[in-house]
Amino acid sequence: MPEAIELRGLTRWYGKRRGVIDLEADVHEGEVFGFLGPNGAGKTTTIRMLLGLIRPSGGSARILGLDPWTQAPAVHRRLAHLGSDPGYLGDMDATALLDYLGALRGLQKGAWRSLAERLDLDPSVPVKRLSRGNRQKVGVVSVFMGREPLLVMDEPSTGLDPLMQREFLTLVAEARAGGRTVFLSSHNLPEVERACDRVAIIREGRLVKIATVAALVGDHTRSVNLVLGRPAAEDAFALPGVTVLSSTGQDVHVMVRGDINPLLRRLGELDVRDIAVSTPDVEDLFFRYYEGTVAGSEGRRVAAGGSGIDGEAAP
Amino acid sequence: MTMLSFRLELRRSRILAVGLAVVVLVYGGLIAAVYPILLANTAQIQDYMKLFPKELMAAFGMSGSLADPGTFFTTYIGSFLWPVVAAIGAIVLATRPAAADAERGWSDLPLGTPLTRGTYLGAAILGQLVILAVLAFVTVGGVLAVGALVGAGFDATRFLAAGAVLWLFACAMAGVTSLVAVITLSRGVAASVTAGILIAMYLLNIVAQVQPAFAWLGDLTAFRYAGVGALIDRGTADWVGIGVFTIVAGAGWIASLMLFRRRDLLP
Repeated sequence: MPEAIELRGLTRWYGKRRGVIDLEADVHEGEVFGFLGPNGAGKTTTIRMLLGLIRPSGGSARILGLDPWTQAPAVHRRLAHLGSDPGYLGDMDATALLDYLGALRGLQKGAWRSLAERLDLDPSVPVKRLSRGNRQKVGVVSVFMGREPLLVMDEPSTGLDPLMQREFLTLVAEARAGGRTVFLSSHNLPEVERACDRVAIIREGRLVKIATVAALVGDHTRSVNLVLGRPAAEDAFALPGVTVLSSTGQDVHVMVRGDINPLLRRLGELDVRDIAVSTPDVEDLFFRYYEGTVAGSEGRRVAAGGSGIDGEAAP
Repeated sequence: MTMLSFRLELRRSRILAVGLAVVVLVYGGLIAAVYPILLANTAQIQDYMKLFPKELMAAFGMSGSLADPGTFFTTYIGSFLWPVVAAIGAIVLATRPAAADAERGWSDLPLGTPLTRGTYLGAAILGQLVILAVLAFVTVGGVLAVGALVGAGFDATRFLAAGAVLWLFACAMAGVTSLVAVITLSRGVAASVTAGILIAMYLLNIVAQVQPAFAWLGDLTAFRYAGVGALIDRGTADWVGIGVFTIVAGAGWIASLMLFRRRDLLP
């Protein structure tokens, strides 16, 4: 049984400019695989090679055992794709657009209607008059409307409101439950946390980490700011993975690495008036995995919070 | 799938096609309506035409009497309006599938389905053939229709044959533009190259007609083969010209199809 996606030393150069370098990864059938990275990291280049739109400079990619460059139509019968910023034809309405794309994929007219209703999309409005979020809904409907075993999505939830983001995640979960494989490129860590089984992190064209979401999330650091009704005992936060960064008695700032449950249990014993937990975004993870420091955005956030302990948030 | 994409091409081209068709229809009709007046005043007009510089006459293909339908049609439409209309149509249509749609991100959508690149571009080329044919035959059709109303006595068969030559001329432009668009993947570059080539050939054709020493330059220009005056007036077809346009159009499109299959479609 071939993997849904196999990358073997996949490399792409644009002249002297780096696209991606030596990517090695397997995406198993039936899993939701997150592909995390900032803009310019190489996510879209990778996806364009998976789609057979551009040719690798070196190495290979296989989709369900097929070469996407030489066997593109066969690959495209097995995958549905959503780009990060699809260039829809503005004069077409979603009905015409989705019927056209559906027909090319062998679907009946209107196969997308139930999904459009679910996402509250008005299909009669010309695409050029749709908001960014509604245009994104057209893409989400398009990618989920077929029966292809592999879904490849590039920043699919960008522009969706929180309700629709939740609906999108439900669609991803349903796809996985139906045995479909999802390759989800994103720079939205919470979305990836909720949707994915495994995650690859790409930065500057190279894969720096592939891990299960549980391992990734369990491994990273959260910043917790507390306002207490009365000062806690000195050893109240002497817990596994918890570091006190600053404390004025009632205002306490701690960092938690790994399991947050011991801290939550301890907070249940305290008089907590307010709590703010910030999860590191993907940039923070990059600082960890690439530079060995979180003196970047997470550290800056701590400093901005008034603790003055810039850079000490390193795990 | 070809028909699906072809129908979409036609749908996307309708505003361009209708707009250009209205222009050629109205202009051609007005010019045809004037023809009987020219015919009735041939001698005076010929005297008047002698005042114009030879270069200007050459530029507009005025190599005979305006009383001749072929010279009349070539002067006002074949060498003047049609190259402009055909260039606009060919450039817009032929830069769209490989360059404009790639730039705007549309082509990723159909090309992310089982639709092959060959079918995608082939359907677009089919669309170019049809739209340019419609424009060419509306051009001669308008002249013929109004000519019949005012009793101009135009030969419909010869005019329709001239329409076919106009169509081939436009197809040659579209074939070259399509190839440049596939090579550059840039609508701006492809349009500029095609327009630049056309303008250069237009000027070369004038030089070739004005300066006997450079007459050979005329053979290098499309305008040397685009004249339909002899075809309308004497029923003499320029088979070399027809062959050149057919070969250029066909070669441009075939090369486009072959190249597009192997082309990196960059984001």
